[in-house]
Amino acid sequence: MITELLFNGFAILAVLGAVGLVLFRHPMNGAMSLVVTMVSLAGLYALLSAKLIFALQLIVYAGAIMSLILFIIMFLNLQEKDLPEESGRWYYLLGGVVVIAPIALFLVKIVKTLPGSEATIVGGGFGGIKEVGLVLFQDWLLPFEIVSILLLIALVGAVVLAGKRRLGK
Amino acid sequence: MSALDIFMVVVRVAFSAFIPLCFIAVCVWMERRGAGFFQDRSGPNRANIFGFRAAGLVQNLADAAKLIFKEDVTSGHIKHKFYFVLAPLIVFFTAVVSFAVVPFADTLVLGGKSYLMQGIPLDLGILWFLSFVGFSVYGIILAGWSSTNKYGVLGGLRSAAQVISYEIPMGLAIVSLLVVYGTIHLNEIAQFQGRLLFGFIPMWGAVLQPLGLVIFIVAAFAETNRTPFDLAEGESELVAGFHVEYSAMKFAVFFMGEYVALFVSSAMIVTLFFGGYQVPFLSTATLINNAKPVAFLLMVAVPVAMHYFAGWIRRSNVSHYPRENDPRVFEAEIYIKCFWGLVIFLEVVLLLILFADKGGPAAHIFVMLLQMATFLVKVTMMIFVYIWVRWTLPRFRYDQLQRLGWQTLLPLALLNIFVTSAVVVALS
Repeated sequence: MITELLFNGFAILAVLGAVGLVLFRHPMNGAMSLVVTMVSLAGLYALLSAKLIFALQLIVYAGAIMSLILFIIMFLNLQEKDLPEESGRWYYLLGGVVVIAPIALFLVKIVKTLPGSEATIVGGGFGGIKEVGLVLFQDWLLPFEIVSILLLIALVGAVVLAGKRRLGK
Repeated sequence: MSALDIFMVVVRVAFSAFIPLCFIAVCVWMERRGAGFFQDRSGPNRANIFGFRAAGLVQNLADAAKLIFKEDVTSGHIKHKFYFVLAPLIVFFTAVVSFAVVPFADTLVLGGKSYLMQGIPLDLGILWFLSFVGFSVYGIILAGWSSTNKYGVLGGLRSAAQVISYEIPMGLAIVSLLVVYGTIHLNEIAQFQGRLLFGFIPMWGAVLQPLGLVIFIVAAFAETNRTPFDLAEGESELVAGFHVEYSAMKFAVFFMGEYVALFVSSAMIVTLFFGGYQVPFLSTATLINNAKPVAFLLMVAVPVAMHYFAGWIRRSNVSHYPRENDPRVFEAEIYIKCFWGLVIFLEVVLLLILFADKGGPAAHIFVMLLQMATFLVKVTMMIFVYIWVRWTLPRFRYDQLQRLGWQTLLPLALLNIFVTSAVVVALS
C-alpha cells in the first residue's frame, strides 16, 4: 500500500521534473527540475531494493554531476537578456508530440499485454553492496575493468585538451 | 510490531533528530567560551535570568529571541525567491539527515530481538553520509546565486568549488579505511574498533590509519567551511559570503545548519577513527558480563568527580573584584546543589543496576546508556578540536587551499590506498 503510494509519487515527480527541464526557460530552473528527476529516480531504485544503485544515483548523479552543472550556471551568471530568442519553441514541441505519440501508444499497448503476476521482493540481500560487489568482481571482472578504462580515457582526454590550450597561448 | 518495537523506533529517531539540534546550543556555547579562553577574556557572561547565567548558556536564548523577532528582509532585487528560501532549508535538512546512519550504541538485544541503534536502520553507512554531504552544496550554490549580489555569488563560487574539490581526498581517505575494515556499515566499523591490537592498544582507525585520519580531518574541516578554510565567508574580502543577503530566521537556519554539520562531521570522525561508541579497552560483551563491577566503580567515581567539579565551580564563579554579598557565590551554590541532585539520581539508577539480574535486560540497557554517553563525550571532544583550530590558525588564501587539496592531499590519499592495500593483502 505505502509502496504503491511511494511509487506513484516518485514516478509522477520524475516525469514532472523531466517536463520542467524541457519547458523552463531559465537554465537554473531546468537544472533544478533535473535534480528532482534524479532524486525521484533514486527513490524508485530504493523501492526496487537496489540499495547500492540508490546510493550511487544520489552521490554521482544528483550529488556530483548536477552540482557541477549548477556550479557552471552560477559561474556564467546568466540573466534573462542573455538567453536566446525561442519564438518557434511551441511549434517544435507540438511536432515532437506528434512524432512521439505513435511510439507512446505502442508502448502502452505492450505494457497492457504484459501478464499480470504478483511482484515479490527478491531475498538473499539482493542489490546490497556486498552482493553487487561480489558479482561485479567475480563474474564480471573483465567487462567492469574495460568500462573503467573507458572512463580513464575520457579523463586523460580532458587533461590533454586542457593542456593543449595553455600551450597554444 | 509490538509496543517495544514502536517504543524503540521512537527512541532511536528522537535521539538522532534531537541530539544534533541540542548540540547546536552546546556548539555555539563552546565556540564562544572557547574563543574567550583562547583570547584570554571571559566570553559571554552578562545575559542572565534572575541572575542565573548558566556559564553563558543564557546568551544563546537571547540570541534565539533576537533572531526570531528580527524583521525578515527579502530584498526587492531578488528575483528567484523560491530558491532564496529553499537554500537555507537544504543546508539544514541535509545536515540533520546525514546523522541518521551514525550508530550511537552497539546493537541492543532486548527480549530476543536486536535493535540497530541508529536513526534509520540502513546498512548504507558511509555512502549515505557522502550523498548528503554532496547535497549540501546545492544550498550554498542556490543561496549565493539567488542573492543576486556580487559578494554572495563570489562566496557561493568559492564555497562550492572548495566542497566539490575536497570531496575527492575525503572519498579516497574513506576508501583506504574501507580496505582496513572490510565493510561500509558504520556499526560494523565501530564493532571492529572494539578489539585490541597486540592485546593492549584499542584497534581504532586513528592507530591503523594515521595518514587517513589527517587527510579526513583536513577534508572534513573544508567540507564544513570552518577555519582555516572558511573563505566562503571571509569577512575581510566578502562581507559574509553566500549568506550576505540573509537576515533573521533565514540566516539562523544557515547558522544552525552549519553547527549541525559540525556535529555530524565530528560524529563521523569519531565513528571512523576513534572507536565510535566503544568505551576504550572494554568491548560490549565485556561490559554486559561485568555490568555490576562497572556500575559499582561508577558509583564510587561519580561523587568523587562531582566533589572536585563543585570545588572548581566555587573557585571560578566569583566576581572579579571584591563585592559585599557576592551574588555569584549564591549562584554557584545553587548550581552545585543542582549538580548534586543529578549525581544522586545517577547513584539511584546505578544502585538499581547493582540489584538487577546478571546479563539481563537491565545490563543491556545500562551498557547502551554508557556507550551513548561515551559517544557524546568523544564527539564533544572532537568539536572542541574544531573550535581549537578555528581560534588558533589563520585563514588560508584561496590558491593555497586549492593547492593543498589537489597537490598534497590527493597524492597522499592515493599513496595511502596503495600502502594500505599492500599491507592488508600481505597480512591476510
